[in-house]
Amino acid sequence: MRKLILLALAVVFGMSQLSAQKIKGSETVLPITQKAAELYLKVNPKAQVSVTGGGSGVGIAALIDGTTDLAQASRKIKFNERQKIQQSGNSVKEVAIAYDALAIIINPGNKVTKLTREQVEGMFTGKIKNWKEVGGEDMKVVPYSRETSSGTYEFFKESVLKNKNHMSGIMSMPANGAIIQSVKQTKGAIAYVGLAYVNKDVKAVHISYDKGKTYVEPSVKNAVNKTYPIVRPLYFYYLKKNESKVKAFVDYILSPAGQEIVKEVGYVNVK
Amino acid sequence: MLKKLSNFTIKSLLTFSGAFAGITVLFISIFLFKEGLGFFKKPAVEEGYSLYVNSKNRVEDFNSKKIKEIFDHEITNWNELGGEDVEILLFRMDNIFDYYSDEELGEEYEFLAEKLAEVIKEKEGIIAFVPHQYSPAEYSGVKELSVPNITPSDFFAGRDWLPTATPSPLFGTLPMLLGTLLVSFFAILFALPLGLGVAIYLSELAPEAIRKFLKPIIELLAGIPSIVYGFFGLVVLAPLVQKTFNLPVGETALTGSLILAIMALPTIISIAEDALRNTPRAMKEASLALGATHWQTIYRVIIPYSKSGISAAVVLGIGRAIGETMAVLMVTGNAALMPTSLFDPVRTIPATIAAELGEAPSGGAHYQALFLLGAILFIITLFISIAAEMISKKKNYKDM
Amino acid sequence: MNKRTKQKFAFFFFRLFSIIIVGILIAILGFIAVNGIKVINWEFLSSMPKEGMTEGGIFPAIVGTCYLIIGSMIFAVPLGVMAAIYTVEYAGNGKFVRFIRMMTNNLASIPSIVFGLFGMALFVKGLNFGDSIIAGSLTLGLLALPLIIRTSEEALKAVPESYRTGSYALGATKLQTIRKVVFPCALPNILTGIILSISRVSGETAPILFTVAAYFLPSLPDSIFSQAMALPYHLYVLATSGTDIEASRPMAYGTALVLVVIVLFFNLTATLLRQKLSKNMKNK
Repeated sequence: MRKLILLALAVVFGMSQLSAQKIKGSETVLPITQKAAELYLKVNPKAQVSVTGGGSGVGIAALIDGTTDLAQASRKIKFNERQKIQQSGNSVKEVAIAYDALAIIINPGNKVTKLTREQVEGMFTGKIKNWKEVGGEDMKVVPYSRETSSGTYEFFKESVLKNKNHMSGIMSMPANGAIIQSVKQTKGAIAYVGLAYVNKDVKAVHISYDKGKTYVEPSVKNAVNKTYPIVRPLYFYYLKKNESKVKAFVDYILSPAGQEIVKEVGYVNVK
Repeated sequence: MLKKLSNFTIKSLLTFSGAFAGITVLFISIFLFKEGLGFFKKPAVEEGYSLYVNSKNRVEDFNSKKIKEIFDHEITNWNELGGEDVEILLFRMDNIFDYYSDEELGEEYEFLAEKLAEVIKEKEGIIAFVPHQYSPAEYSGVKELSVPNITPSDFFAGRDWLPTATPSPLFGTLPMLLGTLLVSFFAILFALPLGLGVAIYLSELAPEAIRKFLKPIIELLAGIPSIVYGFFGLVVLAPLVQKTFNLPVGETALTGSLILAIMALPTIISIAEDALRNTPRAMKEASLALGATHWQTIYRVIIPYSKSGISAAVVLGIGRAIGETMAVLMVTGNAALMPTSLFDPVRTIPATIAAELGEAPSGGAHYQALFLLGAILFIITLFISIAAEMISKKKNYKDM
Repeated sequence: MNKRTKQKFAFFFFRLFSIIIVGILIAILGFIAVNGIKVINWEFLSSMPKEGMTEGGIFPAIVGTCYLIIGSMIFAVPLGVMAAIYTVEYAGNGKFVRFIRMMTNNLASIPSIVFGLFGMALFVKGLNFGDSIIAGSLTLGLLALPLIIRTSEEALKAVPESYRTGSYALGATKLQTIRKVVFPCALPNILTGIILSISRVSGETAPILFTVAAYFLPSLPDSIFSQAMALPYHLYVLATSGTDIEASRPMAYGTALVLVVIVLFFNLTATLLRQKLSKNMKNK
């Protein structure tokens, strides 16, 4: 009897697997996939797509565990993550779908407009504690980070903090929206988000990677002409054996219509 | 015959259902520990990787904290660790391309281990973080560091929670344990006077009509989903706390405590009210007959008599507060910091599980650490539930 | 201070506290109602989210919550009611029953996030259901189980012993007595418990976080192995993610209002039903 139930479940499971596509991962990529899923369904009314956030780490972990078909990530897959997938006899495919300029944001009431990479590093590792040390008012620096599941967190750590850890006990927010909300409310706040999340409630500072010689504003234009230093690709990852299943959706994102969505949301198109 | 069989089936079905809740609790506890206990067999360095140094290096005593400080550039010379006066040179996998080109490493990276060994042999101050797969340990001039496993004291007494740090993740849960207790304790401190007052009002003073009105109100308060409390806390309470106390941030332990106090109130009120109501009429009347005022009767007779019921209310209220997840996740700032005051952000155990479970692939150290946290939470609430039961049992003895 | 003044002083505070409680409830509900009512219209309730969750409606989240309610109740109601029948009618008062009762109490005290942890390890990964309606329903069902067991137990116990003895005297078997006499008598009270647990289940977020919840579905789920959106998770998402948090705030208020209305509707129904039933009982 139990075997029969399990068998029946397996059949239903298998059938549903044919049509359903689970996409999971990066909050940064989320606006693209959400919009794309919305429009993709207009072209392919029979498709079943579900989109879930949580962070790049969530998507890749789910890919390893086989609970998602497509992982969206705002960082490259880590060596050991790739290894885990290979150990289970699969191989992973990587597709870059967009570029993003990572913006460092502060409260609009803060007078500071530009920072060097070293200063940002100091603030997030706890070495710089007051805004007056970087030419601002006498006010405590309140860095907000994303949760460790975030690809943005990992990318920021690698690119801006040069692989150093965030100071321990940093405030961590589960999603980019919450970051914007907190930076808006907190005078001394500093945080980082993908370009698409920057709005009038926060101020994106100009960043210098050459110790203060040139400061560049984060914008689509500066990301395209490669003058803004903190630019990263956004990826889709999937298992090679699932290629036929996810291909249509991936192709859609890479198509002119899909790349239009990328631009509309506020990122840089790859094609 | 058939009837007997169906009778038997029904009876065993009922028995099974009866035992199901018990089975589930056992199952949950087994699962939590099964997934969690493997944690202490994990190496302190990220799984699948090892650390290698030049064989001339004499430093022996490593732990995850020291490794983290080395890779964060906080320790920059080997003499700080009791070695030679040589500057520490950090080496991660990607750095190999600073020394050799892709071609030199071979198509399938078959020469990678050999080349790694060359680099390590040449640089005396090096510490290299390399996957096992490319282990250069068999070549001369290279020494693999032996790093101990994660110990219970790292887990329970460690003060840093950096579960994804490389090469050495830190799993110190002390700040979260204290944070959880702090937030819950103050929640009860705020809720108890209020809750007890309302319970006394309901059981002793309120006219029937008001009672009929208040009781459903309290039940509604209990019915509001925690996510709605969290939303309210995020949008209204956090900015309010920030402004009132002129704080740099609004997401603090205090904000969490206030929200939890509201959430624990219904539990406290209804249990305390039941306890107060159970005071025998004779005792009350005796006190009043001796000339005591109603208030004197309440706090000299009724409250002492229902002490155990009130304690049970407190204990269950704490239980409610400790396990609360979503509301706390949204308002406390989630900083894994040793709490020093109510105005600091804190990270609680349930919030940590909710924020990080998704990203941890099953079987890894991080996944196991989160299950251990779940197990701690489970044990605390189990203990609380049993304690509450025993406290209310005690009262029955006194009755007799 | 005179003991009378002391009493006045103390009682004043108790009254004040009671007013504060009412005030808190009004503040929270009022805040959500005032802000939420602005966006609620037929379109909001019946259409898909659009434009990065800043426009459109919450229809898939409402449907998802309904699915989860149905799924969890299919699982928890028969099991819970049968468990109650067993402990009240069959098991007597031995050690085993006391053990079961203790375990049921313990199950009720387990935090919802631990259910989420367990549901993910067992249903999502162990049984390989993936993030799905079935995994979420089973997890929520476990959460609702102790509540259903306890309320059903009380309902069965409230049936007067004379009904049972009367039925036996007429030659009915134990099973017949339970089926034809005890159960129908207890049914209204059992229903109250079920409604209460529906109210609980529909508002939970932590258990569905890792077992079913999806950020966005462009179409409705088509099988029990699909992910689904749900109102509480949708509120969480609207409150913390989204590219334009200000633009999605009205949506969040609307979602919160719908969620609160659903949860409190069930809650209030149960409370009123219980009050009415206990009055009927007294009149008998």
